Amino acid sequence: MSTKIFTMIGVVILLAIVLLYSLNTHKDYKSLSSELASAQIMHNPQRPLPDFSLIDQNSQVFDNDRLQGEWSLLLFIYTHCPDVCPTELANMAMLKAHLESQNSAVIPNIVAITFDPLRDTPEVLKTYVTHFDKTFVGVSGETQQIDQLVRGLGAYYERVIYDDEGKPVTLKKHEPLPDDALEKGYIINHTARIYLISPDGQVLAGFPTPHKVDEMAGDIKRLIQAFEK
Amino acid sequence: MSNHFKKTLFFLIALVSVTFANAASHTYQNNHVNKPISITDPWIRSAPANAPALGLFLRINNHTDQELRLISAHTKGYKRIELHRTIDSHGVMKMLKQTFMPIPAKGELHLKPGSWHIMLIGPERVPSEGEQISVNLKFNDGSAKMIKASVRKGGMMKHHSIH
Repeated sequence: MSTKIFTMIGVVILLAIVLLYSLNTHKDYKSLSSELASAQIMHNPQRPLPDFSLIDQNSQVFDNDRLQGEWSLLLFIYTHCPDVCPTELANMAMLKAHLESQNSAVIPNIVAITFDPLRDTPEVLKTYVTHFDKTFVGVSGETQQIDQLVRGLGAYYERVIYDDEGKPVTLKKHEPLPDDALEKGYIINHTARIYLISPDGQVLAGFPTPHKVDEMAGDIKRLIQAFEK
Repeated sequence: MSNHFKKTLFFLIALVSVTFANAASHTYQNNHVNKPISITDPWIRSAPANAPALGLFLRINNHTDQELRLISAHTKGYKRIELHRTIDSHGVMKMLKQTFMPIPAKGELHLKPGSWHIMLIGPERVPSEGEQISVNLKFNDGSAKMIKASVRKGGMMKHHSIH
């Protein structure tokens, strides 16, 4: 009888500790939401970032470990994108310069992962992303691995081709591209959220469009302070 | 100098000034009438050396009482040139090819990042920052405008026109 009681008490104490820990880790970020100009809290210990293994612009492995120990801003792009992606990359270059001018203690690494590994090889990405800032990292890899990360972050993309009459046709998720797609070209509709990854390799917050540099800089500072408390 | 003479001189100066002002205003109005369309701040976003496409942005003002349409843009050294519009559809950024761009009567169409833009596809050579590129714009009233777009850096996606 006494063993049972002790076991039950032990279980209750353990549950209470787990609950308190869980409430505690959520508390700070929830209260922070009202202070943020544009960032949305995405921190969720119940839903860690999935395991992924990709290739960076120097053909080195880019996996979960590369997000450990430092702050990163992660965005998805594709180089055939004439408007949204170069705008995002230009904004990230301005954000980095802004943080540097403020002598910010933390300047997150900027990591641009392609939605389009077929055309965006590591070499292509190297030339492309370093145009905006020499330190930017471009990441390619297998579609399945990219998709895993896309899903894990709640991002989305769809490929669009044009038929013979010039009408746009959205391909289904796993539908292969037509043989002439590379020659004729295709575009990608996609979400453009930018993710702040904390040094534990987990997503802390997301920045929806439009990306205003000064607002992002202020939010990043607040988020880092809350994380380090 | 007599007071009478002073008054006459003042009157003459005032008259000449008013006449000149009227003439200048008339010339300005005539210019406006003669220019149904005006283009300001045409620019191309500087892009990486291997960029497959570039964005051309500008402001088009329509001074007439009727809607005008930009129907095409032409310049040398590109595989093709298309008119596009980026829209934000519930967080998904979609790029839609357009057959024309409408410029409202007595109004303006602002081509800017994250919105309306001219897409220069397949450059033979990506122009460098500071270069000036001549582009011919054609409108549905049969008119054309030759512009010089300067290549410069550009970011900051403004609020999108459609949500």
